[in-house]
Amino acid sequence: MSTKAAGQEFIKGLWDENPVFRQLLGLCPTLAVTGAVINGLAMGLATTFVLIFSSLVVSSIKKLIPSQVRIASYIVIIATFVTVADRFLAAFFPPISKSLGPYIPLIVVNCIILGRQEAYSSKNTVGRSLMDALGMSAGFVLALLILSAIREILGAGTFFGYQVMGAWFEPWIIMILPPGAFITLGILLALALQIERRTKSRK
Amino acid sequence: MELVAIFISAILINNFVLYYFLGICPFLGVSKKIDSAFSMGLAVTFVMTITAVVSWVINHWILIPHELDYLKIVSFILVIASLVQLVEMFIRKISPPLYQALGIYLPLITTNCAIMGLALLAALRDYGFAEAVIFGFGSGLGFTLAIIIMAGIREQLDLADVPAPLKGPAIALIVAGIMALAFMGFVGMIK
Amino acid sequence: MKLSTRMVVVLTSIGLLSGSFLATVGHLTKERIALNKQREIEEAIIQVVPGTVSSQKLYEERDLSVYGGKNEEGNLVGFAIHASGIGFQDKITLMLGTNTSLERTNRLAILDQKETPGLGAKITDHDSFLKYWENRDCSGTISLRKPAVSAAEKLLPSEINTITGATISSEAVLSIVNTSLEQVREIIKEGKLSSEAQDVN
Repeated sequence: MSTKAAGQEFIKGLWDENPVFRQLLGLCPTLAVTGAVINGLAMGLATTFVLIFSSLVVSSIKKLIPSQVRIASYIVIIATFVTVADRFLAAFFPPISKSLGPYIPLIVVNCIILGRQEAYSSKNTVGRSLMDALGMSAGFVLALLILSAIREILGAGTFFGYQVMGAWFEPWIIMILPPGAFITLGILLALALQIERRTKSRK
Repeated sequence: MELVAIFISAILINNFVLYYFLGICPFLGVSKKIDSAFSMGLAVTFVMTITAVVSWVINHWILIPHELDYLKIVSFILVIASLVQLVEMFIRKISPPLYQALGIYLPLITTNCAIMGLALLAALRDYGFAEAVIFGFGSGLGFTLAIIIMAGIREQLDLADVPAPLKGPAIALIVAGIMALAFMGFVGMIK
Repeated sequence: MKLSTRMVVVLTSIGLLSGSFLATVGHLTKERIALNKQREIEEAIIQVVPGTVSSQKLYEERDLSVYGGKNEEGNLVGFAIHASGIGFQDKITLMLGTNTSLERTNRLAILDQKETPGLGAKITDHDSFLKYWENRDCSGTISLRKPAVSAAEKLLPSEINTITGATISSEAVLSIVNTSLEQVREIIKEGKLSSEAQDVN
């Protein structure tokens, strides 16, 4: 695989096939944990870990798995890595594990991960699958960071827990509450679509 | 916690869609028509109630006594996936009309995070058997309520002139946000 | 190999591999996770019962545990009541420290809550809420002063200031405290509080 092709596999996840903004996958965690940047980042990294390792395993044993039982096999593989991520956070980062609650175990039903196994890793080489997983994860982390940065700055006046807005700023509490999550993501999706339309019409 | 409190809280206050953000995919995907939204809601309520029973039994009779806590995620997801298959086969045999109504929605439920979320939340909160069942049923009703309201709004929205980039999921999410805002009015009602 | 045998073999081996891998991971992390939970409780006890160096679990039921805090000489310096109940949005879990006769409070700590950020979540804030819980008379029931008074001296010994704009959250905490105090008195009366309790672990 040439470096250029590998780069392509990676870059497509950031924008053209961004799991959140373009494919509308993984919306549950995207909405649920983005009240604070630290939670968004932790969720992004945990998902990255699961996606990368699942893709590596699935792409290396794809020839052994009969197609009738492939979904069941993928689910077991994904659930295994999710458990590892969950136990790791509970053991070494108890505050993060507590504030993310059931959303770390719920990575197992994140459609991004199963979707990439079915659409990509089950058909491509280990190297390509790794690049694809890295790209998709980067796109997912990017989306989580954008959403959580907007929500935390406007909703609490802080970024990563540090005060960034002056004393004059009255936090928009609604932004860190559930309605803020829906409305912010809705506006971001519309923005993404508008940018896409602009670039297309220019071509 | 009392059963009534759990029930009301699951439907209105800690609504699965509007507070926990679980089951967003079917909520956005199957909410274009009231009829289909209703069937989806029924299917979810049905599977959620059964899941609550089965996951409780697995957790309390197998996982906890044998200290197999680390197998929770794997066993829950496998049980839910096979459960949905079983329910589908069962309904097809027992009641063809019901299968006609719910059939196509059942496979969609397997990867629905609301079902897995229900099993995990019930385990996390250490609910007893009756509490878990009420929680499952109530959460299903809460999902049904949210998806039907959403479908009602979207049917009207079809007639409105929505700006092009907002069409589709974007406006649906903003509507969901306003619904979540409205549902915040229920907060505190059981206190 | 026939397809059906291959399916069974593949699924079984994936299941076995995953199971044994998880057993290892579970075994390696088990102690640390238990330790984290224990540490969280211990830290809360030390926080709400000043002077505690070691603590013991004296009673446990669902949504209510009682710990005894002991000083360096091993004498009981106070009780820490770990209780939870329904709040404005969801469950609130708290730890209340009292003296040994359950007549005065030491301090209150909120361990877990999902109240509205900026409003009800102020129950975790020292200056707007928790400081009023220090050294209160809890021989009867504690009550809320509504509307809140600006000078803390004006409060009766058994009164707590309400958080402005978050009456329901304040009331929720109050009711958890009053209910659990009542329950603990009952438990003591019935002699169910174990005197030779095991160390917290």
